[in-house]
Amino acid sequence: MAAKRFRAVEHRVVAVTGYGVVSALGWGVRPFADGLTASRAVIGPFDRFDPSRQRTRIAAQVPGPTPRLPLSASAARRLSWADRFALAAAAEAVRHADLDLRHAPHAIGVFFASSTGGMLEAESLYDQLRDDPRHARVSPIVSQTPAGPAEAVARHLGLMGPVETISSACASGAMAIGCALEALREGSVDVAIAGGADSLCRVTYAGFNALRAVDPEPCRPFRASRAGLSLGEGAGVLVLERAARAEARGARPHALLLGAGSSCDAYHMTTPEPEGEGAARALVAALQDAGVDAAAVDFLNAHGTGTPHNDEAEARAIHRVFGARAARLPVTSTKAIVGHLLGSAGAVEAVATLLSLASGWLPAMPGSEAADPGLGLDPVIGEPRRLADARIAVSANLGFGGANAALVFGRPGATR
Amino acid sequence: MSRAVVVTGLGVVSAHGLGREALAAALAAGSPIATDVDRSAGFHPAGAARTAALVGALDLTAWLPAAAARRMGRPSRFAVAAARMAIVDAGIDLAASPPALTAVAMATTFGAASSTEALLREMREAGPEAASPFQFTECVANAPAAQVALSLGARGANFTLMQGEAGPLLAVARAAREVSAGRAERALAGAVDEVTPLLHAILARFGALARPDRSGAERSRPLAAGRDGYTLGEGASVLVLEPEVVARARGARILARVRGSAGANDPSAPAGGWGSGSVGLAAALRRFLTADGTRIDRIVSGASGARRGDLLEGSVLRRAFEGAPLPPVHTPKGILAEHGGGFLAAAVLAAAGYPIARPLGCDEVDPEIGFLAHAGQLPHPPGRTLVTALASGGPAAWLLLEQP
Repeated sequence: MAAKRFRAVEHRVVAVTGYGVVSALGWGVRPFADGLTASRAVIGPFDRFDPSRQRTRIAAQVPGPTPRLPLSASAARRLSWADRFALAAAAEAVRHADLDLRHAPHAIGVFFASSTGGMLEAESLYDQLRDDPRHARVSPIVSQTPAGPAEAVARHLGLMGPVETISSACASGAMAIGCALEALREGSVDVAIAGGADSLCRVTYAGFNALRAVDPEPCRPFRASRAGLSLGEGAGVLVLERAARAEARGARPHALLLGAGSSCDAYHMTTPEPEGEGAARALVAALQDAGVDAAAVDFLNAHGTGTPHNDEAEARAIHRVFGARAARLPVTSTKAIVGHLLGSAGAVEAVATLLSLASGWLPAMPGSEAADPGLGLDPVIGEPRRLADARIAVSANLGFGGANAALVFGRPGATR
Repeated sequence: MSRAVVVTGLGVVSAHGLGREALAAALAAGSPIATDVDRSAGFHPAGAARTAALVGALDLTAWLPAAAARRMGRPSRFAVAAARMAIVDAGIDLAASPPALTAVAMATTFGAASSTEALLREMREAGPEAASPFQFTECVANAPAAQVALSLGARGANFTLMQGEAGPLLAVARAAREVSAGRAERALAGAVDEVTPLLHAILARFGALARPDRSGAERSRPLAAGRDGYTLGEGASVLVLEPEVVARARGARILARVRGSAGANDPSAPAGGWGSGSVGLAAALRRFLTADGTRIDRIVSGASGARRGDLLEGSVLRRAFEGAPLPPVHTPKGILAEHGGGFLAAAVLAAAGYPIARPLGCDEVDPEIGFLAHAGQLPHPPGRTLVTALASGGPAAWLLLEQP
């Protein structure tokens, strides 16, 4: 009985052994980490499509050129931008984990997130069909649904384990990582490639503008003058393994994924429940899953979109969960630097959280305007915050349709 | 916590009508429905598929008041109506019951095609400033799952899964985990999709859809000779999942127990198509069945009439059963079409003992596959039903249902 219990505990400890990122800061973790450290916002003019007739004209676009991907040039041309981001981030994460994918590929699963997948390419196809239906070619880009990035990763890395795509709006990335955590704990995979990818596209750009949710200036989460979000694109990927397995193969655990939780507001399609009750339930569920007391959390990478409604509801959720400590808990939002990556936001922000745990520095949101005093939070603004002893961190995401998700990460050896 | 999970309710919106009895009658008869798709926009190539299994003008007002429906796209309407139907089918009186933390897991392959198209049309014709907030809100893939949560006050985890043909089984597995682990007291799991002329035309251009034969009829012929694609369908199916102990305590009728699930991937599959990796997929299926140690009495196959997809399905099943005679195999997509949730509902009905006829036009064996869908009575009531889904693009999912 004791042995069985030990095995159960062993199975619950999951290590992050690698990660990769593509963002407007560049292709890879290094430019991402450097940009976060410098609070270098990369939200500005872009040319992924022509925004001249849109209400706003800035976004955080991934810079060119596309680096060499682990596939032929002709195969690469058939990938959507979201697929390319996914594949580049996954390849980097696998390299970082020093993982030999040829060993038991059937035990490696892909748990991925995307809001729009290859929508940008689908938009072009739509225009071709409307312009000249007889000669429109549907074959050049065949991966146009949100399932595309996960399938591209599994296909081009030769993986044979389960593949699952979550498309629950802006909570998708954190939810996909939560699904990976569960698959590892239940033993249905030995390794999980978990993350998300999305690209800028006209539909989301025009749609968020139609909702008046986009700030014409770079977003300012948790500031009184905040006026909306800034859209971004990219991918974030984690390699997750049960800690015991990682140790056995000599892999370095960069952090532990301690828990995950999710919930739904069931309140409104686009507006978060204003009291933060739903978001708080996701945070509490993640902490309970991790076996971590709220008092042990050292910082929070918040959803922090910069929309008036989101930041207010999220602040209330933070107060519900952290009580009086909410006013002292360091909170940041990397959306102020790389924009809102929608379905992949949770994955990219998970990597940012891991980098902060590893470096002991919490990235600052750019700008000098003080935090909105009405929120009662302690956002990190202007200058990075030193948190040398940080051991436990939470990354949270709130999405359209009231979907909420949170992840709890710990430094290796963090008290559970 | 790990609790046995059972299906106690099933709601269906399909071309065959509303509710599970309408679907069951269609499955018993084996007759597909084919309705002409509007091809007036000129998107369809010559000689391509013209029909789909369309829901048409079903009256959903018994399940979805008109005022609420106005705020939803078609997939959301289908999903909410099916979810409400499933709750009633499960014998749950929401007004009289204490609130139960309810999770939602909905699968969709194409999302809200009509809302996305409407948004693209608005932007093209009048510029991006003309984009409608309503169309945008409903074009997100998780709109149906979110509308189900709003409609029923479901405040548990809310998943939308997009993995093509494998999505519906992944949704059930995801929802079952929420209930089994105790994170939710109840879950609604399902699948939803809609057909638009543009989507139909694009799939026809890909060569995915069954074309008219010499008689002018378009028939998907799952696993059979002469198949040349599937029939596209639309609609929604939603299951109610509960802990078995709770269902029994309230005297609920149990349609099936969710015994387990598994997934795999065929990396040889091209984007949008099927590969040749039957060895790897069969090994994964065999591991799943061996680990569970159960005899399979019935297979509900996801074969749809896709040329390569069905070939792969046949090969995977033969290899997984290692040459032993296969249990009776059913191919409900030959009756209910591909996508739109019918397949998932058929799987639950099969597990509950409902008959499924061999689809019309599926009587000639494809020598490369070597077997046909089962016809006639089953030799004995189904104890355990294996449900299979090989998705284009590589992913696969399997679900094991059983009679408790």
